[in-house]
Amino acid sequence: MAREQLNVGDLLPLLETADLQQLDEIKGLINEHLSTERGSMLLNGLVDYVLETNSTQAMHILCSVREPHDKHLFDKMNECMARQACRLPTLNLLGQVVRKQPSWIHKIARYPLLLSLLKCLKTDTDVVVLITGVLVLVTLLPMIPQAGKQHLYEFFDVFGRLAAWNLRNPGHVSEVYLIHLHASVYSLFHRLYGMYPCNFISYLRSHYSMKENMDTFEEVVKPMLEHVRIHPELVTGTKDHELDPTRWKRFEIHDIVIECAKVSLDPREASCEEGYSTLPEHFCGQLHLRPPDCTASPYTDFLSSYGSSSSTQFSTPRQPVLPPLPLTSLSGTQPAYRSSPSSRRPNSSCEFNSIYGIKDTLWSPSSQCGMATPPSSRGMSPNPELSQSAFHLSGRFHSTPAGGKGTPCSSTPAASSPPPSLTEELPSGSLHHSTTSLTCKDGRPIDSSKPPLLRQEPIRELEKAGGEVTNHRDSATETVSMTLTELSVYMKEQEQLRMGKEREEAAITEELLQLTEEKRDPGGLRGFDSPFFHTTETLTGAQQKPPSTSTQSSLLREANNAVSTPDKTDTQVGHRGMGSRGPSQEQPWSFQPVFTPIQDPALGHVRHSPAADEEALKYNLLSPSPCKAPSLPYEALFDLALPRAASLCLGHRTSEVLERVTGESRLVDVKEAEDHATTSVSPLEVLDRLVQQGSDAHDKVLKRLPLPSKSADWTHFGGSAPLDELQTLRSQLLLLHNQLLYERYKREQHAVRNRRLLRRIINATSLEEQNNAMKDQLNLQNVDIMSLRESLQVEQQRYRQLWDDRETMVTRLHSQIRQLQQSRDDYYTKNQELQSKLLECQKRMGEMEADLQRANNKVCHTGHQLNQLTAKLSTSESTQQQLSFLSKQLLLLGEAHKLCVQELHQASPDITKEVQMLQMSYGKEVERLKQNLLLQGQKLDAAQQRVAELETQLSKKEHLIAEQKKFLEDVKCQAKEELQASDSRYHAQRCITQVLQTELLQLYSRLEIEAPTTTASASSAGNTKERCGPAETSVRVLDGSVKAVSKVAPALSQSLHGNGSISSSGQAKSVNGSHSTPPPVLVEPPPLRPHVPLGPPGPPAPSAAAPLTVGSYPSAKSFLGMRARELFRNKSESQCDEDEVLRPQLTGLSQGLKTELCVEPAVKTVPGSGSGSGSALAVAAKAAQTHGLQRAASRGEGGGACGTPARPRQQQLRIMDYNETHQEHS
Amino acid sequence: MAEDLQRNFRSAYYEKVGFRGVEEKKSLEILLKDNPLGILPPHTDSHPLVARYRQEQYEDVREALKAMRFVHAATPYTELYLRMHQLENQKLMRRSELTQPGEEDEDFLAIARAMEEIVDDPVDCYWLIRCFVNQFNHKFGDSIPHLPKSLEHFLSQEDSRLLAHLKTSGSLVLLPYSLWFRRCFAGSLPESSLQRVWDKVISGSCKILVFIALEILLSYKIMLMGTSRPEAVAKFLSNLPQENTDAIVTKAIDLWHKYCGTPMHSV
Repeated sequence: MAREQLNVGDLLPLLETADLQQLDEIKGLINEHLSTERGSMLLNGLVDYVLETNSTQAMHILCSVREPHDKHLFDKMNECMARQACRLPTLNLLGQVVRKQPSWIHKIARYPLLLSLLKCLKTDTDVVVLITGVLVLVTLLPMIPQAGKQHLYEFFDVFGRLAAWNLRNPGHVSEVYLIHLHASVYSLFHRLYGMYPCNFISYLRSHYSMKENMDTFEEVVKPMLEHVRIHPELVTGTKDHELDPTRWKRFEIHDIVIECAKVSLDPREASCEEGYSTLPEHFCGQLHLRPPDCTASPYTDFLSSYGSSSSTQFSTPRQPVLPPLPLTSLSGTQPAYRSSPSSRRPNSSCEFNSIYGIKDTLWSPSSQCGMATPPSSRGMSPNPELSQSAFHLSGRFHSTPAGGKGTPCSSTPAASSPPPSLTEELPSGSLHHSTTSLTCKDGRPIDSSKPPLLRQEPIRELEKAGGEVTNHRDSATETVSMTLTELSVYMKEQEQLRMGKEREEAAITEELLQLTEEKRDPGGLRGFDSPFFHTTETLTGAQQKPPSTSTQSSLLREANNAVSTPDKTDTQVGHRGMGSRGPSQEQPWSFQPVFTPIQDPALGHVRHSPAADEEALKYNLLSPSPCKAPSLPYEALFDLALPRAASLCLGHRTSEVLERVTGESRLVDVKEAEDHATTSVSPLEVLDRLVQQGSDAHDKVLKRLPLPSKSADWTHFGGSAPLDELQTLRSQLLLLHNQLLYERYKREQHAVRNRRLLRRIINATSLEEQNNAMKDQLNLQNVDIMSLRESLQVEQQRYRQLWDDRETMVTRLHSQIRQLQQSRDDYYTKNQELQSKLLECQKRMGEMEADLQRANNKVCHTGHQLNQLTAKLSTSESTQQQLSFLSKQLLLLGEAHKLCVQELHQASPDITKEVQMLQMSYGKEVERLKQNLLLQGQKLDAAQQRVAELETQLSKKEHLIAEQKKFLEDVKCQAKEELQASDSRYHAQRCITQVLQTELLQLYSRLEIEAPTTTASASSAGNTKERCGPAETSVRVLDGSVKAVSKVAPALSQSLHGNGSISSSGQAKSVNGSHSTPPPVLVEPPPLRPHVPLGPPGPPAPSAAAPLTVGSYPSAKSFLGMRARELFRNKSESQCDEDEVLRPQLTGLSQGLKTELCVEPAVKTVPGSGSGSGSALAVAAKAAQTHGLQRAASRGEGGGACGTPARPRQQQLRIMDYNETHQEHS
Repeated sequence: MAEDLQRNFRSAYYEKVGFRGVEEKKSLEILLKDNPLGILPPHTDSHPLVARYRQEQYEDVREALKAMRFVHAATPYTELYLRMHQLENQKLMRRSELTQPGEEDEDFLAIARAMEEIVDDPVDCYWLIRCFVNQFNHKFGDSIPHLPKSLEHFLSQEDSRLLAHLKTSGSLVLLPYSLWFRRCFAGSLPESSLQRVWDKVISGSCKILVFIALEILLSYKIMLMGTSRPEAVAKFLSNLPQENTDAIVTKAIDLWHKYCGTPMHSV
């Protein structure tokens, strides 16, 4: 490995080989190693090698390194950054890498390399390093927009430091560096402002609000601020939003670059892509530029050159008015050529060829969508003037483009213009110097001017037939005639141009040699430059800015138009040249970009820069130095690359100073680019190589230079050491290269963008074509529609005709129909008439038939009648015969009757008297019998009536009795219920009493047991005891007796009491003490009663008396008997009252009954008593028997009473309720 | 008597179509005419008098009991009624010998409690209880012991399976016969249902009790079939749920009709 490694390391020097094939092989080998190896060895070696030798091949390899090596690369570079010595090359390398835009470049934000870069920018004091670093940073920023978040303030700090540096110059570096630095700070400003407006503005606000920074702001930052418009983000965005990564995601790198350019008002910085940036260019470019100075604007220059060659630049204010004029004039002069290319950019390729090397790549494509340019413009842009002028003027006239091109025409005199510039210089400075300087300049200018001249000339020759240009031509001739060297170079370049790409390195080297040679001269002549300087100084001092600018511009021109220097003699021309200068400057812009940039920037710078000193210095530095020659071209290139419209440059001093510097450098660059453009290799590469080689050559040459000459020059300038000078020049060269690279990078970004725009354009055109095609189609269809319409009309006409025909037909038919209908109606009416007639006839026929029928009927009827009448006639005849017969018989019978009456009259009258007597007696007898019968009948009736009456009475009575019975039953029921109720009450009472008594006895017993007994009390107690015993027994007995008694009706007991002979009744009475109504009758018996009521059923002794009393009852006729009698009597009486007739019988009946009743019980009782059943119970039973009898009696009475319907209730009550009757009676 | 004439001449027709209630009022009158309980006589003329008697009797007995301190003001009415009943039936113990109420007394008390629910006035209540108990014991005292047999008989006709189950489980013997047939379901049925049962009993049918019991068994057949423990059965039947007793009674009456014919006049 190590060996291999070594081998590979050894290969590195071989990269410089000239053999392309070998080179490729070696490259392949190294790349292979890089791809296979993970380690950083080879890479580190490569980096070291690059830093050492600045080898482009190695750099290429490094730039195209793959993913895993990026880390090593960054680390290595970071390491190198730490060393002071390596810093610059490292930065260069980094710049290369960054510009290459490898895919991993965004990772740089993560590596310490970025930090060390920033640190370096913040701390380093080497201007070259700073400028390079700043450019790298500016390039890098759009690639790592998100990284701004962490490092934003470091960016700002860098800006602040460098801005201050610019003013204060702490390192006391030369002004030239400061200009470079300023330029780079300016671009950094644009980038920062474009990307982070809010943050940046706030930083500016905070940073420059400090007093110590105020001057920096005034001098440096403020002018920069004048070059930018208000960023839209300042209105809509916020600080945070700016830093939001999502915001950046939709931007590509070139988008960011363009975004930044959009906000710039600097036409060199701004992009005119989006319209709003172009407009500003118009207005800013024109309006802006005009007021400050005609000098600023190329137009003014043109104008001045054309309109007033004699007029000074002070007249420029008027110039805005003038443009048309020159334009017209120009158009007039070069109508064919001008107008055509202006109008057709694509066609202007020839122009481009001729103008090959024009700086503004940005311009033409962006301003116009013309396609042709992009590829070609890439390397070298089409002439900016054209575009610019076209641009500017297009706003006003169409002709302006022509004018725009016209201006170049006018500028063609550029060749002539140089002399004026020289002349200008001459007056300002000493002629000698100028001459010398011219010579010196020649070297440079020749290089620079050659191409322009070459180009201009053909153009001029072609275009400028007009007399106007004669002067210029003259001047051109003059210029041409200036120096042989010039001429030779010029010729060469022409050849080159024409030959195309024939150029060889040899030619370049030759050129370079020439240049170097020339450089010497300038070196010697440097002293002459200083006078310019002085003059400029004086001028600036004397004049205000505009004038000063003019002078400066003149100075620049001097520098540029070395060609014209030979003509120094023409001071007046130079005066004139003041006017022509402008044109001359413009010319380079328009037609000879390489050349013009120098002038234009120079002009712009000079004019705008307040500090003429700087310029002067710069020029001094540039002019004297042998290095100027190479530097200048680079400057020119610089100018080309950075602000594409140096000619349009705006009037800001600082910026213009910068631009001027850059412009100078650019010129050279461009030129060389031209030189190498012929080669097959990419011109840019060639350019780089060229620059390096040039610098090498310079080194060699410088070494050869005699010191004194240099020293003399330098001493003249302030005694700076020649070596120092060399060093500065070298570093300047480096710087310029850097700047060039930066600008190229920018240009590439623009190219990328251009491609995108081109795509859009293609799309747009294709769409347009589509649109056109559609339009055609539309037209076709319109035509179709038209034809269809016509046919439609025809059809409509036909249709109308047909319609009319139809209408007529219809009307005709209608009329026919109407006629037919009418006739039909007529027929109808006729028909109807006929029908009615028919009907009439039929009716008549019917009538006739009816008549006929009737007549027939009559005939029949009459016939029938006739028959009947004949029959009747015959019968009447027969009856007449009978009548006569009967009357005859009647007569006969009458006669016989008469005969019989006669016979009767003749019989006897005696018998009739007897019969008459008998009859009379008989009659009388019958009559008597009849009367008798009648009487009997009447009697019978009466009797019957009576019977009926009685019957009814009987039934009434029976009914009454039934009612009475029912009622009795009812009342009995009621009474029974009530009785039961009271009985139950009584029963309850008895129970209560019993219970009470038992309780009482219990209490007594307890009392006796408990109470102590005295003697007296003892005896009494004994009594009580004695009593107690019977009492208890009596109670027991009572129970039985009560039960027995309770079964007996109370009425019975009463009846017994009534008798007063019942012994047990007393007991009952005592028990029944609560009885409310003791019968008064009972009062009598007590004395008769035995004394012992509680005793057991009475002894037979008293029962002996009982039968007496009982027996006495029926016979006694006492109470009951009398009552009964009374009752019966009453009843019978009442009955008698009712019926007097039948009373005797009835009363007899009732008395019969009564006697039976009265006797029978008595009879029965007697034997009963006789039997001698002595017990009270027996007596009671007998009593019950008697009671039953009584009841029967009463029933019988009731039966007896049946006949009497009256006295229903009371009597019944009386009958039934003995108690009550008793009470009533008692 | 003209009862038959007085009857609604349409009643026969009504009965034929199935409306049995048309003659209810009439039959009630007939029943009342018969004075089923004998508390008030059928004659309205004697009502005040008899009522006064009844009340006086009630008062007297109560006062006597109070005087003897069998009862006092706070004594529950049912006990009062019991004492009064005992007194009137001469079964009242001496106060010193008062014992816990016997089974008969418990029956009385249960009936008294049920009656107390039905009637508000204590006098009426007492009389109703008294007469009801007296009449029940007097009328059906002999037939009560045969009622379980009768129940078994009807149950065998209605649901022999249940009967078999009851027999096998032994719960047939333990059925609450005394509750059903001695207390006439007092305390077992809610008063509304009880009234209907007692009406029938007062009207003179003790068979209704059998049918009520039968219907209860049938209604809770599922439950009875579910348990085989006679104690649980007895306990459940002693504490019947009170929800659908009306339905039970209605069904029982239907059953009664079914087995004993229309009892319109079957006094």
